[in-house]
Amino acid sequence: MMRAPYMVIRVATRLTVPVLLLVLWQALAMASGSARMPRPSAVLAAGLALLASGDLLAGLATSLGRVFAGFFLASAVAVPLGIVMGSVRPVERNLDPLVESFRPVAAIAILPLVILWLGTGSIAAVVIVAYAAFFPVLINTIAGVKRIEPNLMRAATTMGVPAITRMRVVLLPAALPSILVGMRIGLGIAWTAIIAAELAVGAKAGSSGGIGQMMFVFYAYSVELNGIVVCMIAVGLVALCLDWVLRAGLTWAVPWSRG
Amino acid sequence: MSEAKIRLEGIGKTFELPGVSLLVVDDLSLEIRAGEFLAIVGPSGCGKTTVLNMLAGLERPSTGTMMLDGRAIEGPGAERGVMFQDYALFPWQTVQGNIGFGLRFGPAGRDLSRSEQDARVARVIELVGLRGSETKYPHQLSGGMRQRVALARLVANEPDILLMDEPLAALDAQTRMILQDELLRIWGQDRPAAARRTVVFITHAIDEAVFLADRVVVLSSHPGRLKRIVDIDLPRPRDDSTRKSAAFAELGQSIWELIRDEAYRATMR
Amino acid sequence: MAVFSVAWYAISLTTPNKLLLPPPADVARALQDMATDGELFSNAAISLGRLLLAVSAAAVLAIPLGLAIGRSRLWEDLFELPVEMLRPISGIAWIPLALFIFGIGTMLPLFIMFYTAFFPMVLGTAAGARNIDRRLVAAARTMGITGTVLMRQVILPAALPAILVSVRLAVAASWTAVVAAELIGAPSGLGYALDYYRSMVMTSSVMGYVAVIGVLGFLTDKALRLLGGRLTPWAAERPR
Repeated sequence: MMRAPYMVIRVATRLTVPVLLLVLWQALAMASGSARMPRPSAVLAAGLALLASGDLLAGLATSLGRVFAGFFLASAVAVPLGIVMGSVRPVERNLDPLVESFRPVAAIAILPLVILWLGTGSIAAVVIVAYAAFFPVLINTIAGVKRIEPNLMRAATTMGVPAITRMRVVLLPAALPSILVGMRIGLGIAWTAIIAAELAVGAKAGSSGGIGQMMFVFYAYSVELNGIVVCMIAVGLVALCLDWVLRAGLTWAVPWSRG
Repeated sequence: MSEAKIRLEGIGKTFELPGVSLLVVDDLSLEIRAGEFLAIVGPSGCGKTTVLNMLAGLERPSTGTMMLDGRAIEGPGAERGVMFQDYALFPWQTVQGNIGFGLRFGPAGRDLSRSEQDARVARVIELVGLRGSETKYPHQLSGGMRQRVALARLVANEPDILLMDEPLAALDAQTRMILQDELLRIWGQDRPAAARRTVVFITHAIDEAVFLADRVVVLSSHPGRLKRIVDIDLPRPRDDSTRKSAAFAELGQSIWELIRDEAYRATMR
Repeated sequence: MAVFSVAWYAISLTTPNKLLLPPPADVARALQDMATDGELFSNAAISLGRLLLAVSAAAVLAIPLGLAIGRSRLWEDLFELPVEMLRPISGIAWIPLALFIFGIGTMLPLFIMFYTAFFPMVLGTAAGARNIDRRLVAAARTMGITGTVLMRQVILPAALPAILVSVRLAVAASWTAVVAAELIGAPSGLGYALDYYRSMVMTSSVMGYVAVIGVLGFLTDKALRLLGGRLTPWAAERPR
């Protein structure tokens, strides 16, 4: 009896700020006096139009394809490398300075170099994404391998489990949660990086699509700001979905974790 | 109870830390007989765990020799099973998976088909009273249940020698007594001595050592040295009536007197 | 590391076009020239200044808001949804719209960095304030401590380690965003210089700037870590 009004109040409270923001947005757009300023109603219309024409989905598909290609490339190198670096001391000692000196160099900072070397096509985009995703996956794999309970490896050793099998049946599952966390972070960063890369490349000749370039075209050529906002929302939704998928993957692949 | 299964001679262990070398075990000589239940007690800092790790082959002695059946112990081996103080259960394996781990991936199950392995796992699960929890993960179990899984894993591999490092330390008093009884049953206190396995059991609880063991090795601390070996001549099978007996209390008291001063000092450290 | 430098040198020797991969010495010379010229320092100072300004402004708003969200049901209900709605839209995705609103200039990178730094700090602070040991708050309450004293003397210090971690995350993300924002829409700063030299195909200068951006990012994080250690001497040092 008492719960229903309480829930209504809570839902209303939770919607207050978003509604206020929408109203504020509409008011600011109207006050700016510029017909080009995006406003909620126009964004909705533009979004429906972009969805109907298929442009939005095509742009997203291009960007996502690049993200997945680069992300898998990065993981395929970073996970095995991280396992070796985490378990073999001399390898870590030799490679760690190299990793640590490249890690703070953001993918976007090497973008100009990549453009110089590989042009502005899909290969360059995939390389940027792979670079962006590489470090989170690597660092978390190393950390996961290092944080393993020493007694787990010892227990397997005292049972006579051979070293190679130990890697597979103890080290890998023990590090898996951390590896998957690294992949989740890496995929998020990769998605941000692809938008940045396509945006920056959008201004250059010979660029090749993607949601980021679409935004740049809306800005620079057609001055279609409602379209930009539609793209922003799409970028946010995709980011949410990617995160959600990897989170679900984590719970699925790690049923033993406390969550 | 005759020939020595394991023989330690002049065992010393020094840990080299940056700047200091720490002598943990000093000149320990000991014979462990086939089929006996040997308990090692001592105040904290007596190097009990280090002795066990050396027997397991996880650490090497700095001085002295360790022989098993006349051969030097060089490293870990499946004939010596270890039960760790923190149980070291694989969090990603279910109860079944943990108990069958050594059979699947180690030499213990080499001559067994998959169904024979499963049968043995099922039998051990029955033995330690874990039926109904086969598909649970360790984090879903209570401390006492986890301890049973660790014990079952040890037993399933059927090692010659069972090395146990304070396996009951983390349990409440009641669970502890129940599992002491079960441990003796699994070890085979009802069977003739020749059919028993060899157990080396580390504990800091004197009553536990007296209740379980044939002999209690008392160590002194800083560094760990052999203080005395006490024969426990309580009759087997032992049960609750053993715990109430005067002989049980006397033995416990005499061992406590051996280490009391050091134990007091250890609390001030 | 040495192997890497030698490999770089070797590959640069076999690359026919020096514009594509200049040898290490050329990059060092370019760095030296830009340093004596002063442009390296002025661009670095501009970018670092923007970082400081944007992150400070974001912190002033985000940390109190995060504390409120973490400690009050009402504030959580009010702000959780908008934060969760806006957070997935990366700062970089705001660049085209911000370009239109602010034009090319200093406001653009400032806005993008502010936005990028804001969310990690709100979420980190809220999580830190939410997850503090209940018994600490209970203990303070039994001593009759409430209100702002409770906030300042118990909740803030208990959440401080988490807050400092979130500040480090925010600065790192913001440093990435400054490069992107300047690269696309600012007439000055490290990102601008990077793209300028790229368009001039002066690869050694580009590589020099890439190195400078990396080193400054590394040093900023180091400095924050040191500061964090000073501010929370009771917190256990955690690796990485």
